[in-house]
Amino acid sequence: MDLFLQRLFDGLANGSAYALIAVALVLIFKATTLINFAQGELAMLGAFISLQLWYWGVPMWGAVVLAMLITAVLAAGVERTLIRPFDPKDHLPLVIITLGLFLLINALAGIIWRFDPRQYPELFPSGNALNIGSRGLSWYAVFTIGLTVLVIFLLTVLLNKSKVGLAFRSVSSNLESSELVGIKVGSTLQFGWALAAAVGTLGACVYVSNPLLSLEPSVMLRVLIFASSAAALGGLDSIWGALVGGLAIGFVQSLLVQYLDFIPTEMSLAAAVVVLLIILLFKPAGLFGTASVERV
Amino acid sequence: MATKYILAGTSQHKIWKYGTWGLFILLVILVAFAYVDTGFIEIGGNKYNISMIRLSKAVAFAVAILGLQCVVGFTGQVALGQSFFVGSGAYLTAWLVADHQWPYLLTLVVVIPACFLIGMILGLPALRIKGLYLALVTLGMAAVFPSIVKLDSLSDKTGGSGGKSTAESKLEAPDWAASIFDGIAGALQQIPFFGQYFGEGDLSSREADRMWKFLIFSIVAAICFWLVNNLVKSRPGRAMRAIRDNETGAAVSGVDLAMTKTLAFGVSSALGGVAGTLYVMEVGIASPDDFTQLLAINLIVGLVVGGVGTLSGAVVGGLVVVLIPDWAASTESAAFVPQRWLQGPTGGFLLGLMLIILTFVLPGGIVAGFRKLRARFVQVVPRPPDGSVPAAFAAATAGATTAGEAMLSSESDDELVHSGPSDGGSTDE
Repeated sequence: MDLFLQRLFDGLANGSAYALIAVALVLIFKATTLINFAQGELAMLGAFISLQLWYWGVPMWGAVVLAMLITAVLAAGVERTLIRPFDPKDHLPLVIITLGLFLLINALAGIIWRFDPRQYPELFPSGNALNIGSRGLSWYAVFTIGLTVLVIFLLTVLLNKSKVGLAFRSVSSNLESSELVGIKVGSTLQFGWALAAAVGTLGACVYVSNPLLSLEPSVMLRVLIFASSAAALGGLDSIWGALVGGLAIGFVQSLLVQYLDFIPTEMSLAAAVVVLLIILLFKPAGLFGTASVERV
Repeated sequence: MATKYILAGTSQHKIWKYGTWGLFILLVILVAFAYVDTGFIEIGGNKYNISMIRLSKAVAFAVAILGLQCVVGFTGQVALGQSFFVGSGAYLTAWLVADHQWPYLLTLVVVIPACFLIGMILGLPALRIKGLYLALVTLGMAAVFPSIVKLDSLSDKTGGSGGKSTAESKLEAPDWAASIFDGIAGALQQIPFFGQYFGEGDLSSREADRMWKFLIFSIVAAICFWLVNNLVKSRPGRAMRAIRDNETGAAVSGVDLAMTKTLAFGVSSALGGVAGTLYVMEVGIASPDDFTQLLAINLIVGLVVGGVGTLSGAVVGGLVVVLIPDWAASTESAAFVPQRWLQGPTGGFLLGLMLIILTFVLPGGIVAGFRKLRARFVQVVPRPPDGSVPAAFAAATAGATTAGEAMLSSESDDELVHSGPSDGGSTDE
């Protein structure tokens, strides 16, 4: 029972970190129907930038916010120069561009910061918020979930109540019509990329501030798979779905893989891929997504 | 220089076709013999080692990329998980060679059908999952592969995280082959002025072994390329290209989508498996860290940089993917670049940069650029079905020298030769 609680808590903490990256994927998918394969690497770069700023003496949370701003500007630039010239309906060039970015950013981080793992400062108070027997719910888990819910809430408000959000939703539902009614599609998509990069960076910072993990250029390789499974599970165009999907993937990783004996521990990544595969095969719109209708 | 026109099917065309092939093979032989003793070339104070090991690796990767061509290039399915099949082939070979003492090449008898089957099974979801989602799932598969071979329950077969070594069974050149190599080397050394580049005296046994391996690799790869070339030109090949160009249209015209797609996946992964076998033959070990997501992405880089949907693009891609990271890794000093930068993963950086730049500048890859260049000098004009000589060709050969006419004819030739930006005619090399 003790162990069960511990795993539940672990799943909660990891799952909400995945949810943050999943939200970033969802934001870009909503706007452009593109999956950004470089999203995890961009977030990793953001985490490194925040660490570098912290080395230079910026207070930790200030460094995170600054890094979010920097990656947002970077992503806006990427959208403008590398993504916009291509036809959004032709997937192959866009997949190739984001894969190129993946390699580029991954190598760049390795060149600048090297490959040795670095301890990332804790963003949240250490210790446990709640102790049950010998097991405890860490403050890290509590704050991560709180932060994730807050971010998703703020995004929902932004998308539903503001003018920018209206434009964003309009573009994501019908690109051509939005253009006809005078919405600046380009800058709206750019806004989506910037927002996604900022959220992704926050997610990466929170993820690596887990005392059990450290920051290195390859830290996001696995997380991208977890996060995209989470996003697909929740429905690729639903922000709240990303939260549910993230938590579900977190629980699959920490509970299912631990308790079902025939799944070895190292297979948590495989479990996530299998979840992704099953969802795409049987419920391609995910749990909360809107099914798309193809018209000729 | 005026453009030269060659009518397809004439003896002139045959001379041109086989002549260019012959030149290519001659070049490969010359390079092989010149660098078999791990010769160095020096550029800007850096020593580069164009060893046979790298060329052999490039051949293996070229076969893997050839597999990607079948699925991504010809069928248009965005599948990124080729490293999974390369890994499967490599591990199967390593297991059979190390534990059952099979000779390397015989393992292909198991590797090809096994990988074909795995590919067909894993390709089944692709019947429902399309586009980006397929890219996502296949990339996930590639990411999972290392953790599968590290499984405790498999570790007595796969060697766990340490990898499976096959170093005990060496691939040695038989005596007759070694003496032929010595003969060729001796002959090359006799060439005035250039002879000095081909070393001195007979090849050592290690050099002969390297040469032997490279020869085997080249023959296996050539068979693969020949088979795929035939496949692409055959009925299933046309069905594949029809699916790429318009899936609904292909289905309406009677193409069996399910059959053709699973076939493409099977062929692709069988080729991936062959590449894995070659890879293990070269490096002597199958280790989990060699077959990661990064390899999958690197193979995509090779596909795109070489040219999507062309067979020669696979060769170029293999060379690029192997040589550029090595080149970057052995560069120790370069102008304007801080030394610290050169010691990191500069190769990955360059590949990423190349991928992005080429997508913008030369969407058809290096091969398309080369073809564009070649078309300025030599153009092959297809003969119309009724056997008459095309007007454009007649005009060009009759010496239509006025600028306007020359331009007109060359434009219409372009249309004849390149019936589309990514036409299947591109496979006729």
